[in-house]
Amino acid sequence: MDAVGLTPIIPLLFAFALPLTSILIKGNRRVVQAYALLGTGLTLISSFALFQRAYSSDSPLIYTFGKWVAPIGIIYEVDRLGALMALVTAFLMFVIAVYSYRYLEGESGLEWYYTLYLGLEAGLLGVVLTGDAFNLFVMIEVTSIASYALVAFYRGRRDAVHAALKYAFIGAIGTTMYFLALGILYGAFGTVNFADLSAKIHDIPFPVSGNPVGEVVLASGIVLALATWAFLIKAAIFPNHFWLPEAHPAAPSPISAVLSGLVVNVGIYSLMRFLYTVYGGELVPGLERVVGGVAAVLVALGAVSALFGALMMNAQRDVKKMIAYSTIMHMGYLAMVVGAGTQLAMQAAIFHMINHAIAKVLLFLAAGAFIHAAGSRDIGDLTGLGRRMPVATFGLSVATLSLVGIPPFNVFFSKVLLFDAMMERSLALAMVIVLSSVIALVAYMRVLYRIWLGKPREDITVGEHASMAFVLLLLSAAVVLMGLAAPLLLQHYVDPAAAQMMDYRAYIKAAVEYASALFS
Amino acid sequence: MSVQEFLWAYMWAVLLLTLGVALYGVIARPNLLKKIIALTVLGDAVNVMVVLIGYRFTYPVAPPILPSLSRDALGAFLSSAVDPLPQALVITAVVIGMAVNMLLAILTVQLYRLYGTLDVREIARRGGGE
Repeated sequence: MDAVGLTPIIPLLFAFALPLTSILIKGNRRVVQAYALLGTGLTLISSFALFQRAYSSDSPLIYTFGKWVAPIGIIYEVDRLGALMALVTAFLMFVIAVYSYRYLEGESGLEWYYTLYLGLEAGLLGVVLTGDAFNLFVMIEVTSIASYALVAFYRGRRDAVHAALKYAFIGAIGTTMYFLALGILYGAFGTVNFADLSAKIHDIPFPVSGNPVGEVVLASGIVLALATWAFLIKAAIFPNHFWLPEAHPAAPSPISAVLSGLVVNVGIYSLMRFLYTVYGGELVPGLERVVGGVAAVLVALGAVSALFGALMMNAQRDVKKMIAYSTIMHMGYLAMVVGAGTQLAMQAAIFHMINHAIAKVLLFLAAGAFIHAAGSRDIGDLTGLGRRMPVATFGLSVATLSLVGIPPFNVFFSKVLLFDAMMERSLALAMVIVLSSVIALVAYMRVLYRIWLGKPREDITVGEHASMAFVLLLLSAAVVLMGLAAPLLLQHYVDPAAAQMMDYRAYIKAAVEYASALFS
Repeated sequence: MSVQEFLWAYMWAVLLLTLGVALYGVIARPNLLKKIIALTVLGDAVNVMVVLIGYRFTYPVAPPILPSLSRDALGAFLSSAVDPLPQALVITAVVIGMAVNMLLAILTVQLYRLYGTLDVREIARRGGGE
């Protein structure tokens, strides 16, 4: 079971060792870059091994730290969804590390950048692999602190420091509220382990821990309200979105890609764990009302977010701000389907989360290539650069066409799934997806047109660096291939992940079996 | 209502009030330093709440240390000791809270260097731009 426990520990060790290592190597940029590639590369290999193991096993994998089993110690419980997300995260973090070297060639402090970057990766992997609500809190904090600091990477710029402070304040309030929710959860159920909590809610016996002691329905109501609020802040769903359009653009472009593609998924993933692993399936009537209420709120806020994000995209002059509003729109879609909660909706959520991550990373990195060349984020300063930078233009076009949902690209297929999933609920909700896509299309086309066909400025010398171009081509290929192979991906990877995630009994059984094997 | 019950209810009321005041402070106070102070008060209020959740409503309360290794002692121990797990959770949260506050303090110092003020109204008026 080594790959399970090892995956988040590799980037953590590399992150902690980097400040000391950088003294030894006297901050040599090439060595730091090689070190970062080694760290993210090993993590990628480990998460690929984990991915293969999770898909060849019928039940979720368990990893215990020092043989302390489920309700006593913290365990990692990896189902197919977690393994799939870990693989996507590790892959994207690796290619973004390749891209970062050229992008940050003019900046000092590459070793501090990578210390935080690897810490961020450890947090992201911990979030998707953990089987414990308290460990989830710790991992969300690891992710958040690294993100706050990376947003302020350009520490001499006013907008970066201001945006990081705003992000840190709202994030800290959110995680504090989640911690309070955990205290109440523990007070009512006597455990913070996901499998144990789910067993208590569904009246399944679990070794060691006793029966719930508190008012289960009341406690669940408070817990879900506080935790959902915290996760909605992390996922930037209306009305908790306001930090995102400032924080994501202010960071360096590779970090904007990580934040918009991966970090916001933390909120959605945690919501899925809480609503479908812990509070999934058949419930007692009181609890069912509570969970139903939370789900309805998610659908409503998601729909508002999607429309709001799409409309605000059209009002932006800053190209990265426009992409940031598009992230709010896509997170709105995800909140809607997570609220809908059918098997089809889960497939749509998982597939869209992955597709959006890859396409949005590509979009930010392609826009970053233009920003790197022009030294400005204003669309007016980027006009006409497109014809001089063919690879970046190609990446930008693929990403924008994919994100609005043009057929051969990957997001089209997940948008079809989203549409179907929302049609089961109501036509109006399904139309929200179509309408917001059309509004977003206008904004994207405006940018693409200006960059590609606008009158070029004469004073800029541009060139495309090989490593940046390679990453853009690789991600473009991934977007196209994932679109072409969408039915296969759905059948072999996404559907099993959704099915296993909805199956809370198997999740509990895996933890119980592991615990009782050790006790007998 | 006994004295203990009154004190218990009073404690929770005060904590909830503190939570409300701290939230007001973070959201509505214009000075960034005061926002940070309010945020630490918020974190501490939540930490005390979580410690209280593990509290046993008995007197005198024994510390969670097993007096001797026998089954009889275990039964008596379980009925009198407080639950140490919330305390373990809180100590983790305290450490994390320190890291967040440290980062916030550094960012605030940096913001003061760039803007020359800590008033968020003033900063918003000048705009976030370069």
